[in-house]
Amino acid sequence: MRQKKFPQPPRWADSFITWRLSEQTSEEVIGDLHELFSEWVEKYGTRHARMLYIFHALGFLWPLPRMLKRGRNAYPNDHSTPFISTNMFFNNFKIAFRNLLRNWSYAVMNITGLSVGIASCLLIFLVIEFETSFDTFHAKRDRIYRVVTQYNTPDGEVYSSGAPTPVTETMRNDFPQLENAGAIFGGHGGLVIIPDQTGKAAAKKFDEGERVFFADPQFFQIFDFKWLAGDPKTALNEPYTGVLTRETAERYFGDWKRAVGKTIKQNNSREIKITGVLDDVPVNSDFPLKVVMSSATLKGGSGAYLTNWENTNGGAHSYIVLPPNVSPASINAALPAFVRKYKPAAYANQGFQLQPLRDIHFDKRFGNFNGRTFSRELITALWLIGIFLLVIACVNFINLATAQAVNRSKEVGVRKVLGSSRKQLLMQFFGETALITFCALLLALGIAAVALPFLSKLLAVQLTFTLDSKVLLFLSGVFVSVTLISGAYPAIVLSGFNPIIALKSKVAQKIGGGISLRRALVVLQFCIAQILMIGMLVVVTQMAYFKNTDLGFDKDAIVAINVPYDSLSKTKYQYLQNQLLAQPGIKDISYSFATPADNGGWSSDFKFDHSTKTTDWEATLKWADTAYFKLFNLQFVAGRPYFNSDTVREFVVNETLVKKLGFSKPQDIIGKELNFWDGKKVAPVVGVIKDFHANSLRDPIPPMVMGALKDVYHTLSIKIQPKRVTETLAYIEKAWTQAFPDNVYEHHFLDERIANFYKQETQLSILYKIFAVIAIFISCLGLYGLVSFMTVQRNKEVGIRKVLGASVRSIVYLFSKEFTLLIAIAFVIAAPVAYYFMHQWLANFTFRIPLSWTLFALAGLSSVVVAWLAVGYKAVKAAITNPVNSIRTQ
Amino acid sequence: MGEFEELVLLTVAIMNAEGYGATILHEIETRTKRSIQLSAVHVALYRLEEKGLVRSNVGGATKERGGRRKRLFTITPSGIRILKEIRNLREQLWNLIPKPI
Repeated sequence: MRQKKFPQPPRWADSFITWRLSEQTSEEVIGDLHELFSEWVEKYGTRHARMLYIFHALGFLWPLPRMLKRGRNAYPNDHSTPFISTNMFFNNFKIAFRNLLRNWSYAVMNITGLSVGIASCLLIFLVIEFETSFDTFHAKRDRIYRVVTQYNTPDGEVYSSGAPTPVTETMRNDFPQLENAGAIFGGHGGLVIIPDQTGKAAAKKFDEGERVFFADPQFFQIFDFKWLAGDPKTALNEPYTGVLTRETAERYFGDWKRAVGKTIKQNNSREIKITGVLDDVPVNSDFPLKVVMSSATLKGGSGAYLTNWENTNGGAHSYIVLPPNVSPASINAALPAFVRKYKPAAYANQGFQLQPLRDIHFDKRFGNFNGRTFSRELITALWLIGIFLLVIACVNFINLATAQAVNRSKEVGVRKVLGSSRKQLLMQFFGETALITFCALLLALGIAAVALPFLSKLLAVQLTFTLDSKVLLFLSGVFVSVTLISGAYPAIVLSGFNPIIALKSKVAQKIGGGISLRRALVVLQFCIAQILMIGMLVVVTQMAYFKNTDLGFDKDAIVAINVPYDSLSKTKYQYLQNQLLAQPGIKDISYSFATPADNGGWSSDFKFDHSTKTTDWEATLKWADTAYFKLFNLQFVAGRPYFNSDTVREFVVNETLVKKLGFSKPQDIIGKELNFWDGKKVAPVVGVIKDFHANSLRDPIPPMVMGALKDVYHTLSIKIQPKRVTETLAYIEKAWTQAFPDNVYEHHFLDERIANFYKQETQLSILYKIFAVIAIFISCLGLYGLVSFMTVQRNKEVGIRKVLGASVRSIVYLFSKEFTLLIAIAFVIAAPVAYYFMHQWLANFTFRIPLSWTLFALAGLSSVVVAWLAVGYKAVKAAITNPVNSIRTQ
Repeated sequence: MGEFEELVLLTVAIMNAEGYGATILHEIETRTKRSIQLSAVHVALYRLEEKGLVRSNVGGATKERGGRRKRLFTITPSGIRILKEIRNLREQLWNLIPKPI
């Protein structure tokens, strides 16, 4: 018989009481009121009872002694247990812990998935932290700007990190509103010789590569590099003075304190007195200083280096500081007039711009002394990947937790019956999530610590793992957000169980709604994983394409060595050449400005065929002797190589230049004249070579002009036999040092150097591989957990199917069918998204792979296969179980 | 101590450690035939406890209370002493009234 519903007192009155009184007191008071209410209902009927109820409830409206009011929990002389007790917390903790141990495999899966996600996020954070910390230690960093060169040509925009050398001094004079201006010139001869003071031992030789600079004293006023010795105000005032960094000074003189006053010889020509020592430049700076000489040193010397307005050398940087009240826009507006005033008319379109210091590490167009920029897009991409991985892990957690919900239903039912409030249960389940997340966090710290050295090596940066405030803040942020995101839904579901239904074990039927959410989450996981996979495949294929594309010239077994280019050394070139050719291990020798693929080089416009106007585009100039063509196996499509000579008598051009000049047949250009720099270099074209990639495959092939110009050669290229390489190399080194005793010998293999061009992309491709693997791993972990659960839940169904005659195969098919469908849906969503992003990325490269459907198919199929493998074991196990066991229990 | 507080204190003593808000209210209403508000009772009990004349502890929950616990009050020795003092004072004063009344 249906029980008549007992009349209830007005709910709002109860709310009023809870609002007015402390938690404890309101419980007692409302209890009293309810008790009285049932009496009143019997005596006076429902309506009157309700009015009495309100009457008594409103009695608490008047002022009350403080202890009864809301917000107070301590009742005086209270001998009973407090409402919220620490005992409860420990109890919950104990139960959560026991729960974890009981469903041990589920806990492990959850913690593993979460910790991998958190660790990836943490590592990405460390990398981004490092890359965004470059040169942030300068006090004036927000007001420092670099004057860069940027202008338009029909070929596109041209960028240079440098400005003509006189710019700094001129701007100091012309722009009095500048707070400061200082120049630094890099890329000068890195050879440093320490003459031995006692005269007995040989001098020490060092090659500092690109780390030798000339700088104004103002440079050190603008940038905050710490000085260990010497006076920053005066150390670089005089010509032929210089400072060393501590590590350099220690290498040269043992103890850096003894360095001041000593002399070094730079580039075998300049005697420099050491006037100070700098502290080592931190790793996160784009000024890798080792030796800094005063720019005044350049005032003497040849060629009016400091007054040349025509040339722009990328290594000649000009930095200014603006006072707080001057905006960069105001200076930028005045720059075009500045350009017109000082630059020769032919170059008046080469405009200047102010680039803020904070962009220098990130802007690939201009670069920096480290030769490496970190694109801001990459930072965004990495952030997204990190967040995605974390999302996948959280999704895992949610899926597994709700799947396990059925197991906890009885516990929740009992708790509710014993008086637990919804809020208490929420707290309990959030607490359990927090416990799991915390364990995952600890494990993630361990994983990150182990992985960090590998990551550092991979990215060629130095990452340190210190638990400083930023990292801790980040970790606690991750902890809180992961707990909230992962814990919210399961906690709500679990605490919402109707105790009656739960205790009757009928909960399973109620979680119908949970299944569609679970499906959506699986789709989300695999969607993200597949996007990463497709991205990875595209990047890897593109990198392989770069590596394997024929560059148009031979790069195997070629050694490139720098040779000194002072006039004395040049006389020894021929002798050295003969020496080397005598060695059987050596096939060809060539002297040139650079190897075919060295990115740097000369470029210039020119007058073609007696025309009075110069071309409005620039050709790349490569200077080399005639042996160059044979050594690098450059193919001729018309004409012949030029004859050997010391200066330019004949030119050879490439196909692109021919086309740019408007000729359809390369033959037609033979005999025509090219005029560089108003008659300084004039010669006819005698040959056309097939295009080769002079720049990285990112950029199109430039129009190229080649000629002989012994004055500027400083590279010696040697083609060696593949056999007995070490012997040959030793011979080369010996011959070289004999010829150039005052210099430092250094060689590199051409194919290695070329592989280095794509270092950042190669690093990225490795990273993407790792991330894709992690994403699939976590997703499959989740899938595995889900399937484990579902096989348990549906074991009765499986048993009945088997009894009715289903084969093992059909049962496995039953389970895998659902997931395959979900993965397919994920693929349908992932493919267009991945296509869009990859298309954009590939557009960066002039020479790129087509975005073929095979890549997408590969990604989709492999994720399905991996999922089957993950799921297969469990599914098969479920399919083989004896139906007797599953149907027996009721 | 006010008259109402004394009344409440006496009732607590009467109920012999089984008294709580609702029952005390009920007793007072039955015996004095006055309509008292529950809040008055609770406040009085609280003040008595502050003065140390009663002691409380939280006790059982029942279905009528919707599962909420109740706070049971017991009189303390000092509470008994005060009641005795009041009664003695009253008796003394009564004895001083001349015989014919």
